[in-house]
Amino acid sequence: MSTTQDNLLEATGITKRFGGLTAVSEISFSIPRKAIVSLIGPNGAGKTTFFNILTGLYKPTEGRVSFDGTNITGGRPDKIMALGVARTFQNIRLFGTMSAVENVMVGAHSRMKAGLLGSILRPPRVGREEREVRAKAVETLSYVGLRPALHDQLATNLAYGDQRRVEIARALVSEPKLLLLDEPTAGMNAQESADLTRFMQRLRDDVGLSILLIEHDMKVVMGVSEHVTVLDHGEGIAAGAPSEVRNDPLVVEAYLGKQESERQRQESGEG
Amino acid sequence: MRAASTAGPSFRDRFELSHRVRVGITAAALIAGGLLPLFVDGGGGFIDDATVALAYVMMALGLNIIVGFAGLLDLGYVAFFAIGAYTMGYFGSLFHITANGGEGVHILVAGPAAQLPGLHFNFFIIIVLAIAATTIAGMLIGLPTLRLRGDYIAIVTLAFGEIVGRIAINGDEIKFLDTRLTAGRQGITPVDKIDLPFLETFNSLELRPWYWTAFVLVLIAVFVNFRLRDSRLGRAWIALREDEVAAVSMGVPQVKTKLLAYGTGAAFGGVSGAFLGSYLNTVNADQFQFSFSIFVLAMVILGGLGSIWGVVVGAIALSFINNRLIPDVLNDVPGKIGLDFDLTELSFGIFGFLLVIMMVLRPEGLIPERRRKIELKAGIEGLVVDEDTEKQP
Amino acid sequence: MAAAGLPASTSGAVSSVRRFLAQNGLIGVLLIMPLAFAFHDLRTEGDLSRLGNNLVDGLSNGSIWALVAIGYTLVYGIVELINFAHGEVFMLGSFVSVSFFSTIGLTVATGIPGLVAGLLLTLLVTMFALGTLNTMIERVAYRPLRNAPKLAPLITAVGFSFILLNVGLLWRGGSQRSIPNLIDSQALLVSIAGVNITRGDLLAIAVTIPLVLGMTIFISRSRLGKAMRATAQDPDAARLMGINVDTTISATFMIGGLLAGAAGLIYALYQTTIWFFQGFTAGLIAFTAAVMGGIGNIRGAVLGGLIIGFIQQLSDNRIGSQWTPAVVFAYLVLIMVFKPSGLLGEQTREAG
Repeated sequence: MSTTQDNLLEATGITKRFGGLTAVSEISFSIPRKAIVSLIGPNGAGKTTFFNILTGLYKPTEGRVSFDGTNITGGRPDKIMALGVARTFQNIRLFGTMSAVENVMVGAHSRMKAGLLGSILRPPRVGREEREVRAKAVETLSYVGLRPALHDQLATNLAYGDQRRVEIARALVSEPKLLLLDEPTAGMNAQESADLTRFMQRLRDDVGLSILLIEHDMKVVMGVSEHVTVLDHGEGIAAGAPSEVRNDPLVVEAYLGKQESERQRQESGEG
Repeated sequence: MRAASTAGPSFRDRFELSHRVRVGITAAALIAGGLLPLFVDGGGGFIDDATVALAYVMMALGLNIIVGFAGLLDLGYVAFFAIGAYTMGYFGSLFHITANGGEGVHILVAGPAAQLPGLHFNFFIIIVLAIAATTIAGMLIGLPTLRLRGDYIAIVTLAFGEIVGRIAINGDEIKFLDTRLTAGRQGITPVDKIDLPFLETFNSLELRPWYWTAFVLVLIAVFVNFRLRDSRLGRAWIALREDEVAAVSMGVPQVKTKLLAYGTGAAFGGVSGAFLGSYLNTVNADQFQFSFSIFVLAMVILGGLGSIWGVVVGAIALSFINNRLIPDVLNDVPGKIGLDFDLTELSFGIFGFLLVIMMVLRPEGLIPERRRKIELKAGIEGLVVDEDTEKQP
Repeated sequence: MAAAGLPASTSGAVSSVRRFLAQNGLIGVLLIMPLAFAFHDLRTEGDLSRLGNNLVDGLSNGSIWALVAIGYTLVYGIVELINFAHGEVFMLGSFVSVSFFSTIGLTVATGIPGLVAGLLLTLLVTMFALGTLNTMIERVAYRPLRNAPKLAPLITAVGFSFILLNVGLLWRGGSQRSIPNLIDSQALLVSIAGVNITRGDLLAIAVTIPLVLGMTIFISRSRLGKAMRATAQDPDAARLMGINVDTTISATFMIGGLLAGAAGLIYALYQTTIWFFQGFTAGLIAFTAAVMGGIGNIRGAVLGGLIIGFIQQLSDNRIGSQWTPAVVFAYLVLIMVFKPSGLLGEQTREAG
């Protein structure tokens, strides 16, 4: 296993049980710096559970997660966020009654200092902080490609693709070191997916971000990731470069189902 | 449902006003509010009701922080009214009559109170004490609710409100040192009148100074509400209200942020309670009943959850309905002591009816918050953030 | 090991203590009062007959709370609403039953056969009346808000509770009313080792047990009962399966009203005083019982009702009835702290 210095995130032996159900079992996983890695697998394979463990929403039953040299196992989500792990959600979870800009400003919460009294009295430093964060939120929204006219729209009134943009901006505004994207291309057409793929590469190359991607769209996964881990029934069944994983029989089986893959094998054997 | 979705927007569209007009109306209303006492009898019933109404506005603005901003349904807000009022009673009356060997303790007070036995502190000191006491109480009451959601928060806060109410009623049985904990249903009376620097001590014949004091307190409360709403903290509250999981994932600390909402909201109740204790000249256990919590909540909902001006309007409307309209219409007992839930009226039923009608026809309130056009979201399903316990099987 | 980072997960010992507390803390809390008074009685009186009497009275009271608590738990289970008006429905149950048996001329002088027949009739009429009322409340105040934000129906529930309170106030005035003690409820039936069982106790048990059994069977066997359980689990799926969700919800409120009506009659006969405010405290006590048992769980509601009845009786008898609400609510807070899911409850969506 590679050393902590090389890897931004290191997860070892992660297991999560809910009552009798084992959602994630003995997953070890690492994310190098400035890299895009993917987590794939059929629905219910435990990908999102794993995400939730990394971000502190769940505590792992066993195992250890360290981020940037710090042990974050079972830490509070807001503290993990403050250390530089930001995420988006599979079903977009924006704050519906806040504007796009305000949503993004919430993402900067951990980077701001104003407390209760500061918020009420608003001394110059707090006023400056507000203005700076607002400006940065606007800038980030423009960076992810939200039209300025939409910046003050309530989040629920935005179109689906724009909501995705706002969610990514909300994650980016805190200047994280690691960005976790949970099925970001869900509901997007091919063109939009391609745009997003390029966008992720730009984040990695220009900003130096690491990205962990959960994705179903194999075109996106294969195109962008340096490393792919495949989960099925909570267990890691394959890991490696996209080209290796693609042809792994276990992976094919997990995706197509056992009978189907056997049939394919037989057919190819007979034919 | 059908009625709400069709009547709501059309009604609002018709009354959607431009920004400038709204600022104008607000400014005019504030000036009118400030000058009002000059045009009415300074010892009359109207200014009396108006002063009480302003005290209620303050409480409604406090509850608005807890329920409107942070989305924590608090059904025990009366506890903070009680704690604020008892702070006034403890430190500004004859209640601790044996204090200092019967000589009394006087801190920065002039006027008649300076000669009396018991504790007599300056009103400003009492306000600070009331803020401190209610903030702490708010956080303590908030603590057990942190792991809970929605209805469960309502029930726990209700339980706390009732416990405080019970202690107020039965506190005359509890003695430590040689004073009782409360004066029960008899009430602590008389209570010191407000005594501000450079002004004569207030009295019960000339009510204008009381009104202006309450008016200034309300202005401060409105100011604080606006400042908080448009701040890092306010956004964090609204984020938690909208989606707790998303909020904590974006770096909002759940425990601290919620406790700040409880504590801040409670402090308004404390200030208002201390003011009312002095103004009504009694701190009486019968004031602190569950129905009062609902009364304040009704103001917030009637005005529009989270909407600051809406809450102000809602509070004024309901306190006038309660103190003037209902007593006059029913030709019933005069409404001197704030709430006349005095078991011989229809006010229960009228309030109940208002709540039902309001919620069915216009769930977003009289002056809905811009944000409230989308309305409160139900509890977050699925993910559950568990701060400190393992998931139990 | 990494440098000082976030507080890592708690050590094994601490977390196992926590788990122990989470599982058994509630039971421990519940035992505090009975155990303390048992020691006290043994020291001062040498036997436990006083505690035994508290227990019997507590169970009788508790069976009333159990009936009301089932109404809360059923409604919560199916629509996730705390039906604040339910306590007032119970109060009106007392009022309707008293008015009815007075109207048909039942008095203390009525002979046993007439009394039994008359009370059975009263029971049926009261149950039917309150079941209908509860269904109507659902129709007017909750159904229009089925898809509204969660806070909305809670507020209309509070509103209806006030309206019903006012109805009660106008109906019988603002003070406690004594009513004819038809069954001579304090009359001793049998005394075992100093523990007295009265006619009132018998009545409470004799009405409650068949009702609870009947209802449990209804819910587990009947079509409508199955529809109720399906709707409680997943309303959308139930709708897809062809279940009429509106009817099912109406039926749930109907059952809740029936049982609250029965509880109202028992309460009136047992306590022999009624007043319009009885439903407020009763509602909160019964809700506490439902939460204690695990909301959504009928057996839990019955168990919770009996336990709360006992606690309440202990508090009435030993601490003073003026403190009883505070004691019950303190228990409620403790339950929320130790085990929000209740004694028999599953982890719910609400209580993490």
